[in-house]
Parts: sequence; structure tokens; C-alpha cells
Amino acid sequence: MSAFWPIFKRELFAFFVTPLAWVLIVVFLVVQGMHFYLLVSHFSATADLGGDETPLSAFFGNTVLLYLVLLVLVPPMTMRLFAEERRSGTIESLMTAPVSATSVVLAKYASVLVTYVAMWAPTALYLVILGRTGPLDWRAAASAYCGVLLVGAAYLSLGLCASALTRSQFLAMVWTALVLLVLFILGVGEFVTREGTAMHEVCAYVSVWAHMNDFASGLVDSRRLVFYGTLTALPLFVATRAVSAWRWG
Amino acid sequence: MGAPGYKPRDLITVSHLTRRYGAHTAVDDVSFTLGKGEVVGFLGPNGAGKSTTLRILAGFLGPTSGTVTIDGHDVVTDSLEARRCVGYMPETVPLYPEMRVVEYLRFRAELKRVPRASRASWVDDAMHKAGVVAVAHKRIGHLSKGYRQRVGLADAIVARPPIVVLDEPTAGLDPNQIREARELVRALGKEHTVIVSTHILGEVEACATRVLLIHQGKLRAQGTTGEIRAMRTKAAVLLVVSGDGEAAERALRQVQGVSRVEREATGDLWTLQARFGKGGSPAARASAVEACVAAVVAAGAGVREVRPAGGSLEEVFAALTHDAPGETDSGGVAPELEADAP
Repeated sequence: MSAFWPIFKRELFAFFVTPLAWVLIVVFLVVQGMHFYLLVSHFSATADLGGDETPLSAFFGNTVLLYLVLLVLVPPMTMRLFAEERRSGTIESLMTAPVSATSVVLAKYASVLVTYVAMWAPTALYLVILGRTGPLDWRAAASAYCGVLLVGAAYLSLGLCASALTRSQFLAMVWTALVLLVLFILGVGEFVTREGTAMHEVCAYVSVWAHMNDFASGLVDSRRLVFYGTLTALPLFVATRAVSAWRWG
Repeated sequence: MGAPGYKPRDLITVSHLTRRYGAHTAVDDVSFTLGKGEVVGFLGPNGAGKSTTLRILAGFLGPTSGTVTIDGHDVVTDSLEARRCVGYMPETVPLYPEMRVVEYLRFRAELKRVPRASRASWVDDAMHKAGVVAVAHKRIGHLSKGYRQRVGLADAIVARPPIVVLDEPTAGLDPNQIREARELVRALGKEHTVIVSTHILGEVEACATRVLLIHQGKLRAQGTTGEIRAMRTKAAVLLVVSGDGEAAERALRQVQGVSRVEREATGDLWTLQARFGKGGSPAARASAVEACVAAVVAAGAGVREVRPAGGSLEEVFAALTHDAPGETDSGGVAPELEADAP
């Protein structure tokens, strides 16, 4: 694992040296800022705060904006991880250094995960703003961020896996977007399938919408942890096997 | 195949190495050993299996069958340790264009587990040896092909590995850069065991002490560079003569051992090339050269210049394997295989 640290540092450098990184971050923050603004104006215009709806749960759970942003952001973040190195040939230098497939995969994964966290970090300001205007459930906020981290970790892992399976960055991006879209649409299926059917159960189980609703209202369900843990670990494992298999391909 | 001159302490042992890509066999049952301190030329036409063999040595590809041991470490079962022993420069010299040279080399040194305390000095040292100090703070993407090649070389030696593997280090360079690259390779030979692949015969002569000839995936022959050079010098002789070129040509045809004579007018001089038949001993060919000169002088022509000629890779293949050229190469060898030492 001694190769983890240098590869991790280089990946972060390589990402932030490109304009793509800054474009993605700016787009993300602009969208989230508008999102927050709309929610806040909506809630301030509503005199009666009925039910358990709060700006916080709405921001993280009740609108589709969160997932749409992830659908658009994650594929371009992960597409280059392996595909670019295989296309340009630098993978040959990388893999002839004394590095294990596991450390390469984990270092690249850690770099996008840290980037993802850095993208979300400024949104903590919204909580500060909300906290100044009234009471804020900090535990719900923590569980909401926990959900954001879990969902992101799984999506990035899927994206990394796609990048390891193709030489083309474009294909890696398309595949990632497709898989994420299918997951999302399956989740929407929860609302269109009849309750009690197996399909409904499956849809409810994978529904990122339902998951984030839970997380945003302070519910940390162990089923969600298992689901996202698996969705993170499995693609990473497949990617590691793929990287090891290049020697024999 | 036992080669003369290698030490009992073998640094690299390749045994019955075979590598297939689907149905295509790129490397076919190749075995050889390399000792410490050797500079070995890996010679063969494009597509002979050179790059595949070197990639297996460097740990980028795995063997389909057979074993490769590097300093006692098997490249499959003990891959990381085997890779630590090898500094490898791929043929295309892939580098990260967004990094500065010194940043890149520090990254590579860290990746190759150079201890933190010696990292900066080893990187400096590698930059000095490869001659990239002047561009240390330039972005790699802005460098010329020659400098990129040098950065690749600095990367190969930065962790001070016992073995340095360079895949076509002079490909795409201009003649000046080629000369510099060869000097660098020769200098590397003082501290490392060096393996250089090339399809140019002159290149091997210029820097290697031993030659491995690979063709169509098979190791065809190996020998010292001296042996290769002998093959070359004895293949044909070129004479530039003044006066009666036709008489000189007739006289050359009578010389024993000469199989073919070509004559060409160059200005007011004649260029005559006498090719020697196959199978003659080196001593017999050496005396044939003397006889050629004597015959031309006796025919009344003046000798301006005598130099060895011919000795294409094809002919060396033939001489080393004691086969006719047609047998060693059924598909025909491309023109760039001609020896073209500048």
C-alpha cells in the first residue's frame, strides 16, 4: 500500500489542474445555491409550517435536484480515472512501478471521494444560515450529510469501475450515467408499482429518493448502510480484478 | 542456447517464455539469461516480439507460459519485488503532460519507494545523468520529443534499479539526439545492467556488449557485439576507384570468394561493391578484401576508398543462424532493417 499516497496526491493534482474540475464545482455550487434559495423563499412564504417538513429535509430529501446533480456530476468526475491513462499509455509507467492493483484502485477512488467531499463542504454554510434564523436539528443535518456521503461513495465507485472497464473516457461516462439513471428510475418505480408486489419491494429498496428522505429526517437505517456499502465495495473489487487482469489481456 | 561471456550470477533468467494474444503468438519459447553489468541489445524487426518480451520483464504483461525471474523474484508470483529491480522506459515514453519534470520525477521516486530522505538528491542525480536539469521546471507537455525521451530515461534510473530496460530509446529522435541517447545508454552500462531494444543494427553495435536476435517471436541467435560487427564487415566490401572502372570490375570478379560485383558511376569515380559468398570463414574473407584491393590496383585503377558494406540485419541473421536469408525470413524484411549507423 506504499503506493497509495503518491498516487492519491497525483490524482488530486491532475484533477484540479484541469478546467473541468473547476467547471464541475462551480456548476454544482450554483445549482445547490439556487436550490437553497428557492427552498428558503418557499418556506418563508408559507406561514404555517405544517408537518415535519423543514428546509433541511427538503434540501437533502424531498426534491430531485440532489440526484439530478449527482447524475450529471459523477460521470465526468470518474471517467478519466483509468480510461485516460490507458488511452495515453501512462498506465504502462504506472503499472511497471512497484504498485499493487489494490493500492492503485483505492488511491484513485480516495482522490475522487475527497474531491466530492470538498464539493459539498461549502453547503455547510447553508446550515449555518438556517441555524441563525431558527432552531436546527443538527443530528438530522449530520445524518443527511451521512446519506450524501454514502450515495456519493457508491456512485463514484460505480464510475471508477466503468472507467477501469473501458479505454474510452466517453464510454466510461455514458456507462456510468446509464447505470446511475437506471438506479434512479428503479427508485421512482416505488411510486408507480402496486404496493405488496416484489417489484415494489425492490424499487423501494434501491430508491435513492426514499433513502435520502430517511437520512434527511435523521433516520440512519442499517439496510441503507448495507446497500450503499455493497454498492461501494463491489465495483471497487471488480475494478481491482480488472486492473490485475490487464496483464493477461 | 548458451552464450559465451556471461557471469554465473544471473540477474535475469528467462525460461521457455511464451506470450500469446488470442491466436497470435508474439513471443514463442524464448530462453536467455543476463548477468550483472551487461549491456544487451535486443535486436529484431518491428513486430518481432521485442516490446512484448520487455513488457513481461518490466511486469506490465504476464507470460502465457514459461517463467521469468528477476534477481531471484518471479515476475508473476513475486511481481512487486521483481518490478522494484527494473527501471523501465516504454517505447512511447508515456508521461503526464500536466506535471513539471521535477514534480513528475519526485512522484515516480516516491512511487518506486525511494526513501524520503534521499528522494530529492536521487531525483537531482537522475536529472543530471539524463540531462534534463535545464527543463526541470517546465511542464512535460511543453517539452520536445528529445527531452521527453530523456525524462523517460531519468524516470527509469531514478530509483537506482539494478536493471534498466529501454524500449527503442532512439525512436523518433534526430541524428544528434540519437548520438546523445546512445552515449547515455553506454554511460548507464557502468552502473546498471541495461537492456535496449532496437530494430537498427548500428544502434546495437554502438552501445551493447551482447546481442540477442529475435524474429517472429523466436530467439534466433545471440552473440557478442564483436561477432556481430565481424559479420557486418565481412559481408561485402565497397571500393571507390578512379580510372578504368570496367577493368576493375572484371578483375574483382576473378577474386576468389567474391560472389557478386556491382558497379556504379559517381562523378568521375566508380563505386564498386564486391559481395562475398556465404560460408567463408572470417579469416578467408579478410584475405579476400586484401585480394580485392590488389586486383583493382593490378587492373590499373586507383583506389580512393575501401570500406566494409552490406551487413544488413537480414544478412546478419543468416550468418548467425547459418541459414540462407530466405529461410530466416519468409515474409521479407522491411527497408528500415538495413543497417544505418550514421
